[in-house]
Amino acid sequence: MTDLLENDDWLEIRDPDVDAAEVAERVRERMAAREDLPQAEGSEKDPRALVDDLRRQMIDRDTNGDGLPIDERDCDVVPRNYVIDWRVPILGPVHALVRRLINAEIRRYLMPALEKQSYLNRQMLRLLDDLLQENKRLVQEIDELRGDRR
Amino acid sequence: MNVYQFHPQVAYGDAASNQVLSLQHLLKDMGYRSEVFCEQQPFLFEGKTRPIPQYERHSSPENVLLLHFTMDYSSAVMSWLEKIPDRKVLIYHNITPHTYLAGINEPLAEAARRGRSQLARLKDICDAGWGVSAFNCRELAQRGWTNLAVLPIVFDPQRYAVRPDRTVLNRYRDGSPTILFVGRVAPNKCLEDLILSFFYLKRFMRPDARLLLVGAQGGMERYSAFLQKLVHTLSLPDVVFAGHVSNAELMAYYRCASVYLSLSEHEGFGVPLLESMHFGLPTIAYKAAAIPETLGNSGVLVNEKNYPAIAELINLLIEDDALRSLIVAGQRNRVRDFLPESVAARLRALLGDLETE
Repeated sequence: MTDLLENDDWLEIRDPDVDAAEVAERVRERMAAREDLPQAEGSEKDPRALVDDLRRQMIDRDTNGDGLPIDERDCDVVPRNYVIDWRVPILGPVHALVRRLINAEIRRYLMPALEKQSYLNRQMLRLLDDLLQENKRLVQEIDELRGDRR
Repeated sequence: MNVYQFHPQVAYGDAASNQVLSLQHLLKDMGYRSEVFCEQQPFLFEGKTRPIPQYERHSSPENVLLLHFTMDYSSAVMSWLEKIPDRKVLIYHNITPHTYLAGINEPLAEAARRGRSQLARLKDICDAGWGVSAFNCRELAQRGWTNLAVLPIVFDPQRYAVRPDRTVLNRYRDGSPTILFVGRVAPNKCLEDLILSFFYLKRFMRPDARLLLVGAQGGMERYSAFLQKLVHTLSLPDVVFAGHVSNAELMAYYRCASVYLSLSEHEGFGVPLLESMHFGLPTIAYKAAAIPETLGNSGVLVNEKNYPAIAELINLLIEDDALRSLIVAGQRNRVRDFLPESVAARLRALLGDLETE
């Protein structure tokens, strides 16, 4: 990874009062002095590879176009981190109490409905996925029958 | 001539909404009648916005209506804009490219795609386009827009004259090297790169370092889970996801920090860069989108995401007081370009041009 520092342009300081070349050189010297620092990208200790793996597992989608463009992660419609954004200038403790009560009441009212909706979404997704597979199987079967008749 | 503004969804604390309010103050100071209209009004919003239907009685070909554009407009808004006779100016804050949002928030990705395609239709509706940065103007020009100008974001120090939250100060102002990033938890902001840079700083240079990530996570739950898993896997207990914070808490986070680091790949302007400069933090940022323009001749830009080198640079800025002071002094000068009086002069000139057209 430090090999990238061979490129002098990695750092840019436009302030005329600061010597950018000197700063870049000092960074280079300090890095060279650290013997335990991984020396090249792709090495065993390179955490960039970990980021790529996690991204593949947690974010990237199957883009081969074979399946539905949604997955189970899309079914959950519950805003789990939502808190009411309310900035009424009432003194601290009263404000906090009122906000907590409103948050709790909104959650009590909405959450069960949204949890049910998420459950329904998951069931619908499975059903659609099954139907898609069944459809593919039937299309294949029809093609085979047509082939036999010829 | 009256100058009104439209922003579909005004919200607390986001850059576009703050710009709407700042422009309203400037316009009123210049003697214009100026109201803000929106589709969705938050509860007790300080700017006292009005719903769109009330615009009907103000509408006139003599008016200028500033249209703030950050994502997309509903079809109802597009039809409304086509009907009214007012002169319209698009204030383009830019749109996060949909490719960043795919797999993380599909409805938002779709809105981003729709928003970019609406720029073509808005070109025929609007008389001019004002980007909050030249970067934004360049995108409009690529899409065939003419009559373009830059009207930068207003940086009003009064907004930051708030007593910092004591709980945050007590928790984090303990002398540990503290790296700060402020902004929505969003994939274009590449928070994973901040975490990787911090990994090298903590593991090989400063075991006492801390990374504070301040910003709302709403709608980005999948990306947020990915970041938290990364932090857990790299065994970095000192990465703090502060979430959405109050103004007083934000002031406290800036005061606790040693260095501001942004490795974002897409910003239409980058208000937190100005905030960090205002609070005297040496600012390191990845050279992308409008970021170099916002920093001007100040701060430190990196052209490569070389995490160990970025970590070493942070460490150098923490240790070298003289270098730090030089950089901070340059940054303070840059912030002056965005003070209300500077932007007011620009706004006055642009409105003057519109009047003579």
